[in-house]
Amino acid sequence: MRLIRALLCVSVLSIFPSVSLAAEPMSEPAEIVLDPLPTHWIAPKPVGGSAGPVTQAMLDTPFAKGSRWLHYGGDYRNLRHSPLTQLNPKTVPKLQVAWAFSTGTTGQFEVSPVLYDGVLYVTSSYNRLFALDARTGELLWRYDHQNGRNLPLCCGPANRGAAITGDLVLMATLDAHLIAFDRKTGAIAWDTEIIDYTKGYTATSAPLVVGDLAYIGIAGGEYGIRGFMDAYDTKTGKRVYRHYTVPTAGEPGVETWAGDSYARGGSPAWTTGAYDAETDTLFWTTGNPSPDWNGDERLGDNLYSNSLLALDPKTGKRKWHFQFTPHDVWDYDGNSHIFLVDTKVDGKPRKLIVQANRNGFFYMIDRMTGEFVKGKPYLEQVNWATLDAKGRPVVNPKAMPAEDTLERTCPSNLGGTNGSYTGAYDPDLGLVFTATIESCQAFAKGISVFVEGMPYLGGLPELVDAEAGKSYGNFVAIDASTGEVRWRHREAHPMMAGSLTTKGGVVFSGTLGGEAVAYESKTGKQLWRFRMGGGVRSQPVAYELDGRTYVVYGSGSFASMDDFAGGPDRIPEGGHLFVFVLPEG
Amino acid sequence: MRLAAALASVGMAVGCAIGDAEPPPSPAAIYEQDPAAVRRGRLLFTGTCGGYCHSTSPGNRDAPYLFDCTWKHGGSDQEVFISIAEGVPDTRMPAWQGKMPEGDDDLWKLVAYLRSKRSCNEGS
Repeated sequence: MRLIRALLCVSVLSIFPSVSLAAEPMSEPAEIVLDPLPTHWIAPKPVGGSAGPVTQAMLDTPFAKGSRWLHYGGDYRNLRHSPLTQLNPKTVPKLQVAWAFSTGTTGQFEVSPVLYDGVLYVTSSYNRLFALDARTGELLWRYDHQNGRNLPLCCGPANRGAAITGDLVLMATLDAHLIAFDRKTGAIAWDTEIIDYTKGYTATSAPLVVGDLAYIGIAGGEYGIRGFMDAYDTKTGKRVYRHYTVPTAGEPGVETWAGDSYARGGSPAWTTGAYDAETDTLFWTTGNPSPDWNGDERLGDNLYSNSLLALDPKTGKRKWHFQFTPHDVWDYDGNSHIFLVDTKVDGKPRKLIVQANRNGFFYMIDRMTGEFVKGKPYLEQVNWATLDAKGRPVVNPKAMPAEDTLERTCPSNLGGTNGSYTGAYDPDLGLVFTATIESCQAFAKGISVFVEGMPYLGGLPELVDAEAGKSYGNFVAIDASTGEVRWRHREAHPMMAGSLTTKGGVVFSGTLGGEAVAYESKTGKQLWRFRMGGGVRSQPVAYELDGRTYVVYGSGSFASMDDFAGGPDRIPEGGHLFVFVLPEG
Repeated sequence: MRLAAALASVGMAVGCAIGDAEPPPSPAAIYEQDPAAVRRGRLLFTGTCGGYCHSTSPGNRDAPYLFDCTWKHGGSDQEVFISIAEGVPDTRMPAWQGKMPEGDDDLWKLVAYLRSKRSCNEGS
């Protein structure tokens, strides 16, 4: 009603701009105050079905029913593996559009939707949150977050999704708030400021919930922040602890930073972690030290940047860490998608964390101890380093950023993969799947200038391959027990879309050219391709409702990042959700 | 205040030169003749302006390409200086006035570097 009233006022003023003056020519014009446009539409009555609150048991076994998708990573192990067998090589080519939905926003649409009780919870760029009927796409409630001005965004207005627990849906915002909504009405239950965003902080990832705590990491590695991840009480929104990813004076690891460079050391935690219930361990990963491309003032390994952290989930106390890229000067964030995988390595059972790291190497880490097990390149082009027996990079001196003479270095600053999108794992095949970026750059070093809240970069990547039209993508299957690439499916442009596997033997992803794609998991054979329009940066999910089987994609990319990667340059931005369905029968 | 002082200096210089045949060159034009100054401007650009913001080659970024003589907020040396110094509201461009190690000199050297690398046919 308020929207209609506001629009009527605007219309009247447009048609009769001098009405008030004509009626009262001798008096001051009456001040007309328009109602602010609405930004929050609460459902008049509870939405969804009859399911009760989301319980810890549901979060522990999220796929007990195919009608749920509760975690960003699919489950606590981050496998993103749907149990739906009906999505298989025979059926997937028959997928049809069931419905679509426009977010009304531009910028990358990186969501991994949450599905519960027949409702899809979808976040968009710039922090809109929609509750949609998962069968029809009908809008049930909506919240448009009003972010503060002058957001410190290095890389676009992304949000990767919500978390769900009890009767609450949680979303982090670009101006660094964590907000909880009543899942049935959209009413705000609490709204907590994580930190003052004007100091260079932002939040883009989906929270992770374990028990009564919601975990969220912060972004800002391009602004000289001091990185951290937080735990919040889901009932009250109060912070329980903050785990800093950079030590301060007197703390272990501070000796790995020259001078006082730790104070502006970055090391953000901008992706979603994983949880191992068996050992009650929370795993979180961190990004680049600041400034990105000039390490002269922060000599040393720069702990705990670009690291895998094993934490006590209740206290945030660190159990162990493994650093992928010490003293990073390429922006090789260590926070690409991690998987908790049980497999055999050289004939022996191992409990691993595996990751296709941004730096081009596939890592196998013992998740009980942090011990490096194996690491191998998963890209076709890696020349910045090799790995020694303990997994430490042996850096090619020519790959170091320089002021004058630059060398073509692989991978690019966007990496072989990066934390803006997920991978997926098929436990039946023992294969990790990920979209990759094959692109090389030359890294230039310049003068670093630190000012709180301002970009703190120290250099830049020259887009060597992207400018030459030589960047391309592969969709890759990696054997989690050996680190060997099992197959590659080449795409014309770099790929930066998330992945989804199914028990039926299909893996879904997407292209920067705007196509949803599906491959046979075992062979890499292409099964299906559908042009949605906007570049695919989202994390596809699948669900079953009333006997129908659905696959959801977000379509819409961010032109600046496409440009960086060497993607197609004529694809307009824009956020559209596409929901595909298998035909009946 | 420093911006005002800088512009006042330029304004005074221009005003004093009204009776002359040509106005005096801007600080950027002077720095453009000094290889060391242009180099510093380049390293400042590399370290603070490039990266995820302005590209050194034409592209499709939200931050404009600065070497093609197309300016959204004015292309004179003074106008470019002001854009850098004061930033551009509601964009990702922050205000750099008073934040560079060598103050306004560094901003003028940035402008000098942009001048030195620009490629356009208008001669502007």
